[in-house]
Amino acid sequence: MTALDSATDAATRGRGPAAQGGGRSVAERAPKRPISPERIAASLTLVALVVLGILAVRDVDISIPAMVQSWGNAENFMARVGGLTFPAPGDLAWLIALTVGLVLVGTLLAAVLSVPIAYLAASNTTPGNGWRAAARFIGVLTRALPDVVLAMAFVLMFSLGTLPGILAIGIHSIGMISKMFADAIEQIDEGPRLAIRAAGGSKMQEFASGILPQVLPSWVATVLHRNDINLRGSVVLGYVGVAGLGLEMSYAFKSLNYGKGLGIALVIFILCVVMEIVSSMVRGAMLGEQKHTRSWIDRILHPRLGSNAAAAPVGRPAWAASPQTAVRRPWTAQRVRHTIAGVIAVLVVVGSVVVSQINWMDLITFWAKLPEVAAKFWPPSFGNYDASAMFQAMRETVAIALAATVLTLLPSLLLGSLAARNVAPSSGARGTARLLLVGIRGIPELILAIVLVVITGLGAQAGVIALAIGGIGLLGKLIADSFEEVDRGPERALRAVGATRLQTYTSATVPQGIQALIGHSFYMLDTNIRAATILGIVGGGGVGYYLLNASQGSRYETVTAIVLMILATVLVVEGLAMWMRKAFR
Amino acid sequence: MTASASDALIRLDGVTKTFGTTTALNNASLEVSRGEIVVLLGLSGSGKSTLLRHLDGLEIPTAGSVEVLGSQVPSLKGRALRDLRSRVGFIFQQFELVPSLTVLENVLTGSLSGVRGPRLGLWGYSRASKLTALEHLDRVGLLDRAYQRSDTLSGGQQQRVAIARALMQKPAILLADEPVASLDPESSEQVMALIREIAADEGLTVVCSLHQVDLAISWADRIVGLRHGEVVLDTPTGDLTKAEVMEIYGRVATTTAEIRAVAEELVEAAAQVAAS
Repeated sequence: MTALDSATDAATRGRGPAAQGGGRSVAERAPKRPISPERIAASLTLVALVVLGILAVRDVDISIPAMVQSWGNAENFMARVGGLTFPAPGDLAWLIALTVGLVLVGTLLAAVLSVPIAYLAASNTTPGNGWRAAARFIGVLTRALPDVVLAMAFVLMFSLGTLPGILAIGIHSIGMISKMFADAIEQIDEGPRLAIRAAGGSKMQEFASGILPQVLPSWVATVLHRNDINLRGSVVLGYVGVAGLGLEMSYAFKSLNYGKGLGIALVIFILCVVMEIVSSMVRGAMLGEQKHTRSWIDRILHPRLGSNAAAAPVGRPAWAASPQTAVRRPWTAQRVRHTIAGVIAVLVVVGSVVVSQINWMDLITFWAKLPEVAAKFWPPSFGNYDASAMFQAMRETVAIALAATVLTLLPSLLLGSLAARNVAPSSGARGTARLLLVGIRGIPELILAIVLVVITGLGAQAGVIALAIGGIGLLGKLIADSFEEVDRGPERALRAVGATRLQTYTSATVPQGIQALIGHSFYMLDTNIRAATILGIVGGGGVGYYLLNASQGSRYETVTAIVLMILATVLVVEGLAMWMRKAFR
Repeated sequence: MTASASDALIRLDGVTKTFGTTTALNNASLEVSRGEIVVLLGLSGSGKSTLLRHLDGLEIPTAGSVEVLGSQVPSLKGRALRDLRSRVGFIFQQFELVPSLTVLENVLTGSLSGVRGPRLGLWGYSRASKLTALEHLDRVGLLDRAYQRSDTLSGGQQQRVAIARALMQKPAILLADEPVASLDPESSEQVMALIREIAADEGLTVVCSLHQVDLAISWADRIVGLRHGEVVLDTPTGDLTKAEVMEIYGRVATTTAEIRAVAEELVEAAAQVAAS
C-alpha cells in the first residue's frame, strides 16, 4: 500500500460517524501544517532585516527633542538667508526648458534602447535562453549603476553641457524600462500574434502588427513614469556638472547663496509635481480610450450593447459608399483628436532635442578620448582611503537605506490603504490620501535632504528622514495599486457574513496583497540603497560623500572601486529580493 | 495513384502528435480534394484544433507526413513556410483581431506575407492593397466600419473581419477552427453562410472544425469524426441524417463523460432546432 492509498483509506474511514469513535479528536486527526524550509529561511531573513532596520533607526538616533531644537537652528538659518530669491524670469524659463528637455531626451533614448532588450528578455519573444539571460543582465547592470556615477564618467569624456546627463539618464533608465517593457510583452494576448503568424507574417511583422499595438499604452505609461523619476533625479546630476536647474542650484549653494539655492529647490519641487500631474493626466486619457474595450464574454452576454456602442448613423455615411471612396480616411472627431495629440507629442520631442543643444560632434570625438578616460578609471583601488573605512561607509549607506525602509513601511501601509478604492471609507478620504501621495512623490529626495541637512546638520539623520518621507510617496502608491487589484470576491464574502470594514481589510484584502507588499518593500530597499549613495553627495552620510570627493579630486580609480562596491551590494539585495518573491509565491 | 488522389490539396498520412504524455492525434489520415467543404466533428479535446494547426505548419507532427498544396509542411522553414501559410487562410474561434487597431488595418495584416519588413500604421500599406482590403470589407458587409477600432465591433462582426483578413491572403485553402463557438445563433448562421458563399465564389477548399452535429450535416459536403485523436468517421453528408451520425457517435462514445457530453449536445441541438 502506498502512502497515498492509506491516506485515501483514512479519509474514507473518517467519513462515517462510527469511525470517529476511535477516540482521536479532530485536532489529532487534522493534517499538520506543511512546513517548507525555504519559506522558513525566507521568513527568518525577513525578520532579521526588519530587526536590523529597527536597530539602524536607533543608531541614527532620530530624537524628537533634538529635531525641535534644531528647528530653532533652521529658523535662525532662514532668518540669515533673508527670504528666497530666484533667477531672472527669462533665465528661469530657459533653465526649466533645458532641464525638462534633457530629461525627456534621456528617457526617450532609454526607451528606444529598451525595445530590443525587452524583446530579447521577454519569455514569449526571446530567441533563446542565452539571449534572455544576456538581456536581463544588461537590465540589472544598468539599473545598478547610479546615473550620477555615469554622469561623472561622461562629464570627463564630453564637454560640459547636456550630453553627459542625457547619456547617463538614457543608460541608467534602461534597467527599469526594459524590465517593464518585457513584462508588458509577456502579458499580451497571444491570439492576434498567432493569427499574423498563420497568415505568413515574419517575426518582425508579428512584433509590429501583433505585439506592439497591444503593449503600446503600457509602454507609454512606463516611459512617462520613468520620466517623472528622472526629473526628480536630475537635481543631483547638476552636482557633477550637468547643465540645468541642478547645476544652478549647486552653484548657489557652493557660493553660500542659500536664498537662491532654496528658491531653485522650490522651483524644482513645483516642476516635479506639475510633471507628475501632467503625466498622470496623459495616462488617464490613454486608459480612458482603452475602457471601450469589452471582453468577448461581455459581447456575447450583451450583443446588442456591442452594436449600440459601435452604432454608426442610420444608413451608410457618404464616404462608405464604395471601396474607392473609402480609401480616404474620413476626418472624424476622434481622428482629429488623435492627430492633434500626435502633433503635440512630436513637437514636444523635437522641442526637447532642440533646447538640449546637443553637441553632436561630441558623439564622434569622444571615441578618441574613450581609452584615455577608461584608463583613468582602471585598475580600481581605494587609493589613500582605508579599505575598512570604505566598508564602514558602505555599511552606513546600507543602514541608512534599511532604516529609511523600515520607517517608510507603516505610514505607506496606512496611506496606501486609505488610497485604495476598495479599502477607503469614503471617496473624500481616498482623494485626500491620493493627493498626499502625489505631493510627497513630487518632492525630489535630494531637495528634501538638502533642506534637512540645513535643519539637522550633516549626517545620516538627514539622509534617513529624506528617504523615509520620499519612500512613502512611492511605496504608498504601489500598495494602493496592488490592493485595488485584489480579487473582490473574498471581500464581498466576508461582508456577507457580517464582518466589519476593518475585519474585511485584515482577512480578505491584506492576505491577497501581502505578496505584492513584500515585493514592493524589497523594491523600496533596492531603490533606497541607490538613493542613499547619492544622498551622501549632498551631505546625507554614507559612501556617497567619498564618491563625490574622489571624483572631485580626480581619483578615478577610487571612484571605480567605490562603484564596484555599490554594484556588489545592489546585486546582493536584488538577488535577495528575487529569492523572497519566489519563496512567498 | 488514382486521379482523384493526385487532386488532393491536403494529405495527412498516419499523423501522430503527442504533447508530453497526452496524445492529441493518433495515426490520423485524411485526404481533402480541391473544392471540398469538410467538417471535422468532435468533442473538445478530440484533436480537431491540433489537426488544423498541422495543416498551417503551426504544429510539427511527432510522426507521419503532412502534405498541403504539394509541399511537405513539417520540412518547410522561413520564407517557404510563410509562403505556404499565406496560401492557407485560418479563422479562429476567438477571431484574434488586434483590439487596438482599426478594422481596416486588421484586414491588411492578411497581406503581410506579400510585403517585406514590418508595417506600422495604415500609411505602411500601398493604396492598391488598401483598396483590396476595403473591397473584402464591403463583401462581408462592414465597409462603413473600416476605420473603427476592431474591439468596438460585436463578435459576429469581428469574425467577419477575420474572414476578410483571410481573403486578403488570396488563399487556396481556408481552415476554420470552431468559427462560431463564441457567437450567438443568429451571428453563427450569418458567418457560416458567408464562409460557404465565399468558398463557392473563390473555389476554396474548406476544412472547418465544429462540435454541433446539426450544423455540420446541413453545412458540409463531408464529415470527418474525430475521437481521442483518431479518425472514427469519414462520410459524405448526402442524405445522412442526424440520427445516423449520432448513432455512430453514440457507438464511439465509451466513457460516461463522453456519453453525457453527447447527450448535452443533442439537447442543445434540439433547442436550436426548436428555436428556429
